[in-house]
Amino acid sequence: MPVAARSIGEAFVTIAGRDRVRDDDDARAAAAVDGQVPRWVVRPASIDQLSRVLALAQDGGLAVLPRGAGSALELGNPPSRADVVADLSGLDRVVEYNPDDLTITVEAGIVAGALATLLAPHRQFLPLDPPGAAARTLGGITATSASGPLRTRYGTPRDLLLGVRFVQADGVVTWGGSKVVKSVSGYDVPKLMVGALGTLGVLGELTLRLHPLPDSERSWLILLESAEAAQALVERLVDSPLQPNRIEFFNGRALRLLPAEPAIAGVAVSIGSVADAVREQGERLSAMAKAGGARIVPLPEGFWSAAESALACPGGWTVLHVASLAGRLADTAGAIESAARAAAPRVEVRLSGGAGLGTFRALVGDASVAETAAVTTRVRARVAELGGVVVVARGPAELRRAVDPWGPVEPGPFALMRALRDEFDPKRVLNPGRFVGGL
Amino acid sequence: MPLSRTFLADLERIVGADGLVHSAEGRLVYECDMHTFYKGAPDAVALPTRAEQVVAIVGLCRRERVPIVPRGSGTGLIGGAMAPLGGVMIGTNRMDRILEIDLPNRCATVEPGLINLALTREVASRGYFFAPDPSSQMVSSIGGNVATNAGGPHCLKYGITTNHVLGLELVTGAGELVTLGGKAAERPGYDLVGVAVGSEGTFGIVTAVTVRLLHAAEAVKTILASFTAIEDASEAVSAIIAAGIVPAALEMLDELMIRAINEGTGAGYPKDAAAVLLIELDGPAAEVEAQGERAARICWERGALEVRVAADVAERALLWKGRKEAAGAVGRLAPTYLLQDAVVPRSKLPAIMRELIAIGARYRVQIANVFHAGDGNLHPLILYDDRVPDELERAKAANEDLLRACIAMGGTVTGEHGVGLDKAKNLPFQYADADLNFMYRLRRAFDPDAIMNPGKLLPSHPACGEGFRPARPRVPDGAWI
Repeated sequence: MPVAARSIGEAFVTIAGRDRVRDDDDARAAAAVDGQVPRWVVRPASIDQLSRVLALAQDGGLAVLPRGAGSALELGNPPSRADVVADLSGLDRVVEYNPDDLTITVEAGIVAGALATLLAPHRQFLPLDPPGAAARTLGGITATSASGPLRTRYGTPRDLLLGVRFVQADGVVTWGGSKVVKSVSGYDVPKLMVGALGTLGVLGELTLRLHPLPDSERSWLILLESAEAAQALVERLVDSPLQPNRIEFFNGRALRLLPAEPAIAGVAVSIGSVADAVREQGERLSAMAKAGGARIVPLPEGFWSAAESALACPGGWTVLHVASLAGRLADTAGAIESAARAAAPRVEVRLSGGAGLGTFRALVGDASVAETAAVTTRVRARVAELGGVVVVARGPAELRRAVDPWGPVEPGPFALMRALRDEFDPKRVLNPGRFVGGL
Repeated sequence: MPLSRTFLADLERIVGADGLVHSAEGRLVYECDMHTFYKGAPDAVALPTRAEQVVAIVGLCRRERVPIVPRGSGTGLIGGAMAPLGGVMIGTNRMDRILEIDLPNRCATVEPGLINLALTREVASRGYFFAPDPSSQMVSSIGGNVATNAGGPHCLKYGITTNHVLGLELVTGAGELVTLGGKAAERPGYDLVGVAVGSEGTFGIVTAVTVRLLHAAEAVKTILASFTAIEDASEAVSAIIAAGIVPAALEMLDELMIRAINEGTGAGYPKDAAAVLLIELDGPAAEVEAQGERAARICWERGALEVRVAADVAERALLWKGRKEAAGAVGRLAPTYLLQDAVVPRSKLPAIMRELIAIGARYRVQIANVFHAGDGNLHPLILYDDRVPDELERAKAANEDLLRACIAMGGTVTGEHGVGLDKAKNLPFQYADADLNFMYRLRRAFDPDAIMNPGKLLPSHPACGEGFRPARPRVPDGAWI
């Protein structure tokens, strides 16, 4: 349809302006997702423009892939179609910041690093720290429900998103939730948008709950002889009155990359509070570690960002997200490592994760796609026996074609998910095929 | 529309004779929740003991298009667990077992009829608790807490019910028994648990709940500060938050409420106090100690008349006594009242208090205030005497102005009680047609025939059962030529 295509392109120009619509080969190739090259890259300057772009796309039967910083493009199934990439990086304004209320409303394209810089003078922060957060957009972090070590104390995006303005597949701008820290007015629509990969609407504006930065923060690393010893330590810690910010487990392979001594397993703990309480809790943590026969070393400032860089996903590697039960740390870590070894003997697995919550991030590398696929399948089966789930959070398209990146969803919940997708995006405008079960 | 004899016989076959209430006197017990304004008795009350019975009841009702109203302990404040259209009420009281306490994974699975406090009592000796603490926690059911996404004084630090629910077993309006979420958090797919919590029984009936258990804090400190002006107390609240302190609870009482409480239970608040602030901190002992001193200093700096610090459990109970009896104490001021639950951004507290005084004057009604100051959740009690002609009308008008004022300041119509029948009409203050339309369609995925708790949560729309139709944005002309 060359004629229609040209006129659609012109319509995008009418909506967003010529400098915000690209259809040249370079721009299109740069925006490709899993080999699907879009026909247009549109970078709306406002939610209103985004709304009109989507309305036009739906009328034209086009598929739209929303894109923030492009950090999570290897999550989910390869898209079944791709006509338009909606680049949301231009929606990066702060709409309203009320330090006294510990809330902020931002456009979804703002990157977390820029937000942190803005909040720091007020001694406040948004405690979302998934790998690479500084360069990721908050819309992307929310749409993929990404979190990092701080989830131990502050939760995940579902606990911090208060309100959301999004654009439905038909272009209707919709608001859900509220701008205050507590509201039960109507359905909790923000929960539905977290982790939905933009399939029920493209995120335009987010109202987020902020937290005060602790007066003082210190971190320690406890070196252990086994994952079982790590689990025992974490259990004592969680059952104690201590209030850590982070309790992060590292396997031996991950530890090797950190500024730390080698060990079979490590648990890094950070505590943030008033200075006296940090000191006092640190002493208790030391006593706890030593009582269990483990070595504990204080960590330098900057450890957490160093660990984040050291455990960034190398090119060609795969990231598995494992959500297991809070009390099955050793079993889960053991299952992941042994299943991986059984499937591909020379594969390397660098494991880290929220030790008190049962969530892990497994970096799988030095293996072919076939080997990684076998690892994923095997790990998934073992973790399922423990009551957990495994998602391919990042990996080559061939891998995500070879194995279902999301894993199975029970038929009952899946029927409801499909009903929601059919209701809100019957023509599959938004990210077609990419979500669970190919939704 | 009374139920047919066959229908009642079918219902009895499902739940047994002892699980069915259909006498006129029996049904009367179920005609309202704690918002006694709204009355509507169901045509029958079914009291199932198992999820399969709930599935069968929903199936039966769906076939006959009979409305279903879920009910826990009936302690809601919103006209939620009552039957404006009749139909079948499903009471969950007989489903009150603890199915599993799983301390290694720090969670528990319970039936919906279990009383909130019963769960904490079960695990307290092992150092754990269930965090949501609505004032009704001694009688309200966990299923009811889930339905309304209940909060409580300590949700400032710990979050509301939704932050503590990991999984749900739900019988949808389509009669399907589904398990949503589970012990492992962060499952792929839409967060159906997140959106089902707070859906007030309009998606279906919860038959089991998996909740998080938290470890009890090491130390608790309660501070009571009195002020001569509510502005000073509000500034103290802002200063405490600005100092990076997140108290477990931060409650405020205004002058009228203080008077009522002093006359009633004799909590012994200073006579000249125009505001009382109750601050509770919990956590590791050293942190609580340091932050307690800082909070007390902030109160003195903001001109507090008096700052009392509870030294032990008994003193803490004494400081809380007045707050807990607030709603009862206003009985001394007026025979009855309308209770509101709106929220404003915390920084707007002084402004909304001034507005409340103006609204009270405008409609010649007294408004007493007790609120969760830490999160800006107001609980104004608009006092009226229904024996005085038109006083109720004036109270209702004041109520509506108050809600609009809260919304204008960026707030919300309900912070923790829920919407029910009471506030459904107020949602359009806060949401545009497109937003409400989204909610209607969301509900349809769970309850295609709209038989679950009809008339609650969502405002009815005169034009069509579909709800509001939003306008689509304009597509450029000539795009298709």
